[in-house]
Amino acid sequence: MTPLLALALAAADPSGLQLFADANAAYLSGDVSRAVASWEALVSEGIAAPELETNLGAGYLRQGKRGLAALHFERALFLDGGDDDARADLTELRRGNVDRLEGEAEEGGAETAARLLRPLPGFAASIALAVLWGAAWVLLALRVFRRGPRWCSLAAAACFAGALLSALVTWGAAAGRRMALQRAVVVAQSVPAREGPGDKSVSRFEIHEGTTVRVEDEEPGFRRVQLANGLTGWVPAASVELVVPPGWAGRPVAAISPRAAR
Amino acid sequence: MSTRIGRALGLALCLSLPALAAGEVELSATTDAGEVALDGTLLLRISATYSSRGEDGELKLPTFADFEVTGEPSRAEQMSFTFANGSPSFRRTVTTSIALTPRRTGDLTIEAVKLVARGKTLQTPPIHVRVVPAGQVRGGRSSPDPFDRPADVDPFADVHPGQRDLILRATVDNEHPFVGQQITYSLYLLARANVSSIEKLQLPRLDGFWSEDVEAPQQLVPEQRILDGVPYTAYLLRRRALFALRPGKASIEAAEVQVLTGFGMLFSRGTSRRSSQALRLDVQPLPPGKPPGFDSGNVGQWALTATAEPLAIAVGQPVTFRLVASGKGNVRDLHLPALGALPGVRAYDPTTTDKESIERGQVNGTRTVEQLLVPERTGSVEIPALTMEIFDPYQKQYRTLHTSPIAVQVLAGQSGAVASVPVAQNLLGGGGLRPIRLRMASVQRATPPWSEPWFWPALALPPVGVALALGLAGVRRALRVDPGDRRVRLARSAAEKRLRGARALLQRGESVAFYAEIARAVTGYLADKQGVAAAGLTREELAAALAAKGHGEETVRRLVRILDDCDRARFAPGSSDAPVRETMLGRAEQVINELDRGRA
Repeated sequence: MTPLLALALAAADPSGLQLFADANAAYLSGDVSRAVASWEALVSEGIAAPELETNLGAGYLRQGKRGLAALHFERALFLDGGDDDARADLTELRRGNVDRLEGEAEEGGAETAARLLRPLPGFAASIALAVLWGAAWVLLALRVFRRGPRWCSLAAAACFAGALLSALVTWGAAAGRRMALQRAVVVAQSVPAREGPGDKSVSRFEIHEGTTVRVEDEEPGFRRVQLANGLTGWVPAASVELVVPPGWAGRPVAAISPRAAR
Repeated sequence: MSTRIGRALGLALCLSLPALAAGEVELSATTDAGEVALDGTLLLRISATYSSRGEDGELKLPTFADFEVTGEPSRAEQMSFTFANGSPSFRRTVTTSIALTPRRTGDLTIEAVKLVARGKTLQTPPIHVRVVPAGQVRGGRSSPDPFDRPADVDPFADVHPGQRDLILRATVDNEHPFVGQQITYSLYLLARANVSSIEKLQLPRLDGFWSEDVEAPQQLVPEQRILDGVPYTAYLLRRRALFALRPGKASIEAAEVQVLTGFGMLFSRGTSRRSSQALRLDVQPLPPGKPPGFDSGNVGQWALTATAEPLAIAVGQPVTFRLVASGKGNVRDLHLPALGALPGVRAYDPTTTDKESIERGQVNGTRTVEQLLVPERTGSVEIPALTMEIFDPYQKQYRTLHTSPIAVQVLAGQSGAVASVPVAQNLLGGGGLRPIRLRMASVQRATPPWSEPWFWPALALPPVGVALALGLAGVRRALRVDPGDRRVRLARSAAEKRLRGARALLQRGESVAFYAEIARAVTGYLADKQGVAAAGLTREELAAALAAKGHGEETVRRLVRILDDCDRARFAPGSSDAPVRETMLGRAEQVINELDRGRA
């Protein structure tokens, strides 16, 4: 159904706004399956919007698919760290999660750092860094080589200070983004976390759908994941889905996502 | 006639029972059979149970349109005073039994029985009885109540007393019960001799069972029995309801009794001690196929109802939610479903009340869970349906009991209320899934600039450019050299080079050339380093010029002497030998060193 909808979307309305409106209407009339299929068609068309991801999360939650719901709320937050709806829905969803982490609150540590860093205006800061950095050096060169006026020195110092500030913000945003690129959500209902990347390895614990993990390593068919409290294990690659899918935000398409592959 | 009987019963109840204070009343009616022949009789039992002291009220019997009342109604009364959950509990049950004969065949109905007591009117549901033609009733009396002990079960069927006068006999009505199913333990004394009284009764420990007294007669009531052709008098000493707590083999140890026999105070008085036989039970585990959520205590025949009161209320006002499980079984082990959290409703901790009663040897019970709910939002609040899984030991199957969902309308509180009255508020708590977004405001798929290939080279470009410019300027400066400065910088090395040349000439024995080279080394150094052209100056002018540059008088004097000695040796050859020339070389080096230091 999804490919058909995607074809219809491409032929009829390149922006996908009409299909988005139709999906919303289906959801509001109670036809959640059709709404989810339409929203997924928009996603497969390459549209990445926090509103679309938030709606998808709500649709999956109504269908009882908590893992996929958490995944799309996380994606909405990646696209727009200030998306209040996605954050509230994700918080509500996590209240019903099967997994409760001991030793550290799920919102603590790396999670908190990622939450703080994600809203930083990294895009604007990096552009400002490039501009201020170049201007500072030009002014410095004017002063040194052409015996420019004294204000050149002052302006160069100000540009250097601005560039330093921009660099800090850019660094923070890049760090947050790096953490976001490692985030993943358990979409399988229940999956054993093993000591090694193999079905015969000893299972150390189980994780359940909706739990957010960090992907630390990959082997064919397996991913090594770490929970917020440090618990680490290998799980089948198909059981966790990356928050930032291949093709998004510079992530190479070669990074295999089982769902993207399907 | 029926009216007369009802009045008579009411009068009897009023006269025979002590006055009791107000309290709750329960009314039930049962028959001993669901099917009866036209020529048979049916026994209607009406039980009024009072859980507190008070008036008995008036029992209103129906007209019995389809039946005739046979004989006089009989009345029995049972009182119990127990401690349940740490609090005393008083119960009194008045049972009225009426024998009925059907007037016709078919499906007949015994109308509702009413009891007006303590300001309330209680009513039993009508009882339907199937009446078949005379002589066609199926084998024996088929009871609709599976808890009834079958009529043909004779507790003394396997008793063979032989020559014994006194026998203590223990029986159970079911030797293969399920876990949690009631079995009834009875203790009889069978006597051929006259029994005056029971002096001491020692009941066995009932480990592994939950037990409840069913009958504990205070007086010996004789019942005639024929055992192996010998007439015996049977006395019921105790009857208890037992609920097995775990499956497997269980045993009930022997009971003991001490009996006083004989007549009056003089005739054949004696005391006898007797023990009953031990009993062995095989308690069966509950069959497989337990539904999810089944609690092992939920065994019996239960009904589940849920009510809420009131159904329309102002926000902030309490609603009483009542979940009642009633039926036959061990109510103390019953586990009722819990009401989950309701959005927009504050729920207080539930309170649980249990009531037990004994009806025809069967332990009945009612567990009531009351919970106060306070809606905090206006609108419709639905209390969801609850389910409870039970095991019916008589049907031998699991059953799921359901309640119906209850809708409560929560209205806004009235404005303008008196200040002292708490104002009902529409408390809008957070939580719940948010509505979906209807517009896509932004479509993003940007790669951040620092991930682009141009970003880092662009940052490196300005400093690299400035560094290149600085390097070029340095090279240019290095290429642009002042000859005068160069000469001054190289004066010392040029003088040393000439002195080395002079040493070579000395070794070759070329005396004139040696002195000429010494003179050139000294004058060249003076010209390059000191800026003094010795060739155009007299010795006095030379000395004055060097003194003006701050050199010492002794150094200047030695310099002048060197120049003079060199001139003399060049123009008067052979006047000096090799050691003198060697000395001259040393003197020249010394003077140049002194001039260099003085310059510095």
